[in-house]
Amino acid sequence: MHNLIRFLRRYYFIFLFLLLEGFSIYIISQNSYYQGSAITAFANNISGKFNTQTYNITHYFNLASSNEALVKENAMLRAKIQSSYVKYEKKVFQIQDTVYKQQFEYEDAKVIQKTINKRNNYFMLNKGKINGVKKNMAVICPNGIVGVVVNVTNNFSLVMSVLHQDSRPNVKNTRTKITGTLIWEGGSYAKGKIIDIPSSIPLKKGDTITTSGFSQDFPEGIMIGTIESFTKDSGNGFYNVTVKFSTDYNKLEYVYIVKSFFKEEQVELTKDIKNE
Amino acid sequence: MSKSIFLGIFHFIVIALIQILILNGLQLFGYINPLLYIWFILLLPISSPAWLVLLSCFTMGFVVDVFEGQMGFHAAVTVFMGFIRPLFIKVFFENKDSDLDTRVTIAEMGITRFLPFAFIFVFVHHFLYFTFEIFSLKEFFFTLLRIFLSTIATTLLIVVMDLMFIKSKK
Repeated sequence: MHNLIRFLRRYYFIFLFLLLEGFSIYIISQNSYYQGSAITAFANNISGKFNTQTYNITHYFNLASSNEALVKENAMLRAKIQSSYVKYEKKVFQIQDTVYKQQFEYEDAKVIQKTINKRNNYFMLNKGKINGVKKNMAVICPNGIVGVVVNVTNNFSLVMSVLHQDSRPNVKNTRTKITGTLIWEGGSYAKGKIIDIPSSIPLKKGDTITTSGFSQDFPEGIMIGTIESFTKDSGNGFYNVTVKFSTDYNKLEYVYIVKSFFKEEQVELTKDIKNE
Repeated sequence: MSKSIFLGIFHFIVIALIQILILNGLQLFGYINPLLYIWFILLLPISSPAWLVLLSCFTMGFVVDVFEGQMGFHAAVTVFMGFIRPLFIKVFFENKDSDLDTRVTIAEMGITRFLPFAFIFVFVHHFLYFTFEIFSLKEFFFTLLRIFLSTIATTLLIVVMDLMFIKSKK
């Protein structure tokens, strides 16, 4: 017994090190990809509250640019409402409302925490389960796409940014309608890459890239950015496209969470295929 | 003694706040992401009890983790730095500093001894953190570039902050 105590006293430094290191690695293994666990939920709640406080102070500095973005969006939306169209035809067709079924609903939210300088980046939003936010919902902002919800607590939700190695939204070139996949390879948060566009199709600098609507998460036609440069990859017959994001992710403040009414039905439809 | 404990807690809060509020939102040229919080470990007196160093390392790492939403990475790497810190002290202080309250600062070590200590210490920390964060060798050279540039940025930041705020005790 005496020897044991002496042994522990002598090597306590190593034991304490192993204990703390083991605990850290245990936490990493538990929430590497933000799987909801007790520790993450607890930490998210604390940092969420703290970040709300910080946000209350810092968001004043961004008010000007936020307002500008909102005004722009307002103008765009105003252009879309019926009263801004002039009727040219004399004949009026009455369209029953039941013809249209609402597919998407938007929940506004504020970004209260963000990273943009990691290899894999996330945003935290101030809306959670009690606001009807669910996993895998898309998140967009007035200027473009933002990411996908990966974890939700009661009051907060965590969004995997497009600045992440697992983010692969399907995109299209609005001019040629050809689709590809948007990836981010680290580095500058202002630029992304598009792969899988065959080099047989002509591209132009400045072409607009939007979401294709093929992935169930994002509505069609959400802005992503413009083509900055492209090279032909002689190896595989695809383009190597650099795209400049239309969104400044460092200044991101107001976003919309997209609730798709048909998503579950669509997922249900493809469920059996994935299982095979 | 109690004075240095209060000083330690004060350093902890200030450095953690700088890291969380300012540096975490920073991305320079797409590569540089200074992790100034490691400075706190350098500022502990070299005679601090080993368990206190390890616990401080863990707490600092954990706090930064919580506010970055990336659980455990900073904690694991910083605890490791606390573990190998005695090695650094052995190499850089050869018994000639009889005053055990000595800290790793420019005022007490002189810039010629401080700079290699800080640079190597920061480099090891950044190397472990950035490789650990990505956890693959896929983008090895990109990661290496990030490590080098961030190490230089952090060391520079530490030197500037040290010259500005840390005064010699003597």
